[in-house]
This record gives sequence, structure tokens and C-alpha cells, in this order.
Amino acid sequence: MTNVVSIKELSKRFGRIQALNKVSFEIPSNSIFGLLGPNGAGKTTLFSIIADFLKADAGTVEVLGIDTRYISRLQGRLSILPQDAQFQRNVPILDQLVFFRLLAGRTKKQSREEVLHSLDLVGLKSFAKRRVSSLSHGMVKRLGIAQAFLGSPEVILLDEPTAGLDPASARQIRDLVKQLQQHATIAVSSHNLAEVQELCDHVAILDHGNLVLAGSVDEITLADREYNLSLSRPLQDSELEKLTSIEGVRNIKILSTAAASRSKQSTDYLITLDLSADHLDQDAVIAPVLRTLLDMSVTPRKLSEGRSLETQFLEVTGAQSDSP
Amino acid sequence: MNLKTINIAHVRLISLYWSRYAVRSGSGLVYLMIALVFGLSVAHIIIMPVERLMALQKKQIGQENPQLIRKTIIDIGQPIIQFVLGVKSFEQVTKEAASTQMHRQNDTSSTAHSGNNNSAFDPWTNFLIEKKPALLSVIFLILIFGMPFVISFLAFNQISGDVQNHGLRYLLLRTERCNIFFGRFIGTTFFSTAVMAIIVATITFYLGMKVRIYPASDLAIWAVQGFLALAILMVPYIAVCSLISASVDSPFLSLVLAKVVIAGVLLMAILGGFAWKPAKYILYALPWGWQNNLIHPAPAHWLGAVIASLAYTAFFLTLGYIRFETRDL
Repeated sequence: MTNVVSIKELSKRFGRIQALNKVSFEIPSNSIFGLLGPNGAGKTTLFSIIADFLKADAGTVEVLGIDTRYISRLQGRLSILPQDAQFQRNVPILDQLVFFRLLAGRTKKQSREEVLHSLDLVGLKSFAKRRVSSLSHGMVKRLGIAQAFLGSPEVILLDEPTAGLDPASARQIRDLVKQLQQHATIAVSSHNLAEVQELCDHVAILDHGNLVLAGSVDEITLADREYNLSLSRPLQDSELEKLTSIEGVRNIKILSTAAASRSKQSTDYLITLDLSADHLDQDAVIAPVLRTLLDMSVTPRKLSEGRSLETQFLEVTGAQSDSP
Repeated sequence: MNLKTINIAHVRLISLYWSRYAVRSGSGLVYLMIALVFGLSVAHIIIMPVERLMALQKKQIGQENPQLIRKTIIDIGQPIIQFVLGVKSFEQVTKEAASTQMHRQNDTSSTAHSGNNNSAFDPWTNFLIEKKPALLSVIFLILIFGMPFVISFLAFNQISGDVQNHGLRYLLLRTERCNIFFGRFIGTTFFSTAVMAIIVATITFYLGMKVRIYPASDLAIWAVQGFLALAILMVPYIAVCSLISASVDSPFLSLVLAKVVIAGVLLMAILGGFAWKPAKYILYALPWGWQNNLIHPAPAHWLGAVIASLAYTAFFLTLGYIRFETRDL
């Protein structure tokens, strides 16, 4: 898998604030890449430098093998949904997007067709002749996404694409992003960790301008070595010992959410596997675990591979979970 | 600097879009209104005494007296022209105006002094008063003085507004910064030129219809020359606004700075000149010191003023472009 975006030793400072500090990572081709981080971590700054809106103090960014300091060479190949950019309020949205396509060298007719198709993708075709000032916040967000999808860009950067959207619209955008993955590499920044885990195959986590973790979602969530298990009732210590004695089970921990800690009655467990033995694979360990649980009259309610991205995110950023 | 990537097709598209946007966003309409009100008010103030005189003559003697009308026009226009061109000081102009008034009161044979002083005019004043339609000359001189203050209402927001709301970010991956900067400058200049054309055409048409003392061909030729002078004059001031607009993020600050810079240079030169004579050369920081030459009778002076305007434009645009190319957006 080749890399379409390569970031090396990227640094940016705003006055006393070090927004990015020697950040380096790569975005693989045809992946959906999630950029995570708490507020102020540097996600938008990073996207802005990739798109050459901001100038880096040090380091380089290459997109499709082209240094972004020569951003004009990427015209039509790289597009972005900027987080807080505003459209011109008193101009019909069709005119604004047609203008973007005219800049790409399309005729008026082609531009119009492409724009209407793009607006249709985000459910805004019937609003094409409206002015931006008459659209709701969610509609403006969808309009931003429509302009990012215009043409056939090879790399698309989406800064908080579903922020402010209702659940149905957010789902629509996620589906659209998944469809586009066949033709483009998409980088998404988001606070919604469940969304990123569902959508992305690679992630990077930024914290206070530093890169704290980067890799595939499977690697980061230890998908092949850890399982989340929800049970019908809490396990006794003896039952835990019995499960731990199964070959291939390294340990079983109670998942300590805030609510579980308060009640001391957690029914959620994290099973860590030890697959070092040659004859063992995940199924060869999980199947006996489930059988044993049923023998103990404990019903498994939910089984999922790996940690949640949220757990990993909170661990590496040192943040506290807000969940009750 | 990355001018090699300038794309003429993009500059054309951006300038056209920007001109249309100037109307749609309202800022262009605001400028059009202010410029029209200013231009037509100046024309009204200058033309009104002549119209009154014509009406009075018609009422008293049943017909107009072109000779007397011409004298009145010279009485009105001469002090303004001589003061604006710097031929006479403010004291001299007011003194002469007072003496003319006294003379008029003592001498009811109104044509007696008609044209008496014309031979004493310097060649430039003579050209504007005698060789060209004087009413239009006076109006042009006042517009040349006043329009630089008005142009900032149109040109202040070429860049700054879209930097503040990050709207430029939708464009930056679709075209080069140089195309945006120069496209918007050209779009603004195009709009300003169109407004100048409307103002000059309206004034000339009104003058031609109401004050029928000038041949239509003379009026038309002088109107075209005056329009050219105004259109060329606006270009360096738009470039100053481009520089300011590319340097600050706030449209309001950009407008205030444009006003302060354009008026400040003139004020500093005038007030500074009282205290220390060489300070009057501050005037040349902007085209203030050259701009009247755009209606000079000598082609060399006119050409010099045009070249100076272009030089100022190039200078301010270069500074503005360097700032825009290298800044965070």
C-alpha cells in the first residue's frame, strides 16, 4: 500500500502556543484516515498546512508525491472541507459551486451538471438556487461537503464533516465517504470516536500538538488480541479464575467505566489473548470461553473485537471519560 | 513571489465573478450610491447658479445671454480651479472672490468685465476655462480631489473579509493566490471604471441638456478625457486598498486604515507644509501630487501623470501581493 500523504517533522507555532510539534505520519492510499485529538490538539492546523492555508514553521508535507508548498500542482487532485470557512452569503449556491468548476476548466454546462450531481449526493439539489444565508447550519455543512466532492479529487480532507448534522444526515455523509473510498483517499478529523472507529481504517491521535499514536485501527485497538464481553451477570472470582485457566487467555479484567465503579456490579469484561502458541488462533480461544460461560449459566450478551477507540484515545491522551 | 503560476483565464474568471459579487454583496451598490450622490451633488452645486441665472434671464429679458452665462461660469470656476491646481493660495482666491463680488454689486452693466481677466490666467487654467467646457472642468477637478476618499468604500474588502471568515479557503485549492489577488484587483477596478462612466455620462448628459452653451462635440470629447482621468486615477488608490486589505483580517479595520492613509497623507502634507516646507512632499507618497496632471493640457504632463499612476499601482500591488502570498489564510 503506497502513501498518498506524507508528513515529516511538521511544526507550527502561534505566538506562545506550539500548535504542532515535529509531527510525522503517513496516510495510505485509498484509506479512510481518521485524525483524532482533543480540542486544541492541532487537527485543524494540520489540515490547514496540508492544504497550504497556513505556512509551516518547519517540516514538509507531500501529497501524491508533491510538496504542498507548490500547491498549484495539486489543483483538482486535492480538496478540503475546511472547518469554519464561510460561503458568500448573498450568492446562490449553484453560482458559487459552478464558479469553482469553471476554475477547473469546465464549460458552464458541464459545471452545472457536476454541481447538481454533487448537491444531489448531499441532498441539496432542490436548494441549488437558494442563497447560503437561507440555509440552516446543517445544510451549510452539507454544502461544504458537496464542494469537497466536486470533480474527482484523489485526496479529500474533511475537517469535522458530521459536526452539527442530525443523525440521519451524519449517516448519509458516512455512507457517502465509504462509497468514495473506492476512488479517493479520505482524511477525516472528528471528535466522534465511535464514528471514526466505524468509518476509518487508519487513525492518528494528536494531543497538544504532538502525535501520540498512529496506525491502522486494528493495530491500535488490538483487534486480534483483545475482546470486549458483556455478560448477563457479574462473574464471581472463582468463575474468573476458571476462565483465565483456558489456554490462550492471558487475563480477564473488569471494564471500569465510571458507572460500573460506582455500582461495583460491572458486567463488562476485557479479555486479553495470548496467541503465542502456534496451534492457537482467536477462534480456538474464544469458543471455549463462551462454552465455559454457558456452562456457568452466564449468558454472553455482546462480544466485540478489540478495545474501543475511545478507551485507547482516553488512555493515550490522559483525558477522563465523560460517560456516566 | 510566485507570479510564474499566474493564470490569465483564472484572473479573468475571478475578476468577473468579483465584479458581480460586488453588486450582489451590497458593497458595490453602497459604493455606487455614495459615488453617484457625491458626483451628482458636486455637479448640482456647480451647475445650479448657472441654471438660476439662465432662468432669471429668461424671466427678465425673455432669452438667455450666453456671454453673461460664460462670465458667471468663469466667476464660479476660476477660483476653484486656481486653488485646486495650486496656482493661487487660499487667501488670494478668497480675496479675489470678494473683490469680484464687490465689483459686481457696483457695476450693474454685467458684461463689462466679461473675459477681462482671461488673458491673466496661467495656461493650465486657461485651458480648463477657455478651451474646454469650464463647468465640466470644475466638476472634474472636484471629482479628482474627492473620489480617492470615496473609492475605499468599494476597494477596502477585496481580501480582508474573506480572510476573516476563511471563505478564501474554498478557493485556495482551486487557483493560485496570485490569481485571486490580481483577479479581485482587476474586478474592483472594472467596477470602479463602470461607476465613473455612469457618473461622467450622467453629468455630461444633464449639462448638455440644461446648459446649452457648449457644442455637444466639445462636451463629449472633454467628458471622455475626464472619464479617462478619473478611471486612471482610481487605479493606484484601489491598489493601496488592495495592500491594506491583504494585510489585515478585519474588513472594518481595512476600511478605517484605507481612509486614514488616503486622507492622512494629504493632511500631513498640508499641515506639515505649514510647519516645515519640505513636509509638503509627503503628498507624493500617494498620487495626490500628480493626479491633477491627468487633465493637463500638455501631453507630456498627462503622460507623466499616467506613468506615475501606473508606478504607484505597481508598487502598492507588489507589496500587497508579497503580503498575501506569504501570509496564513
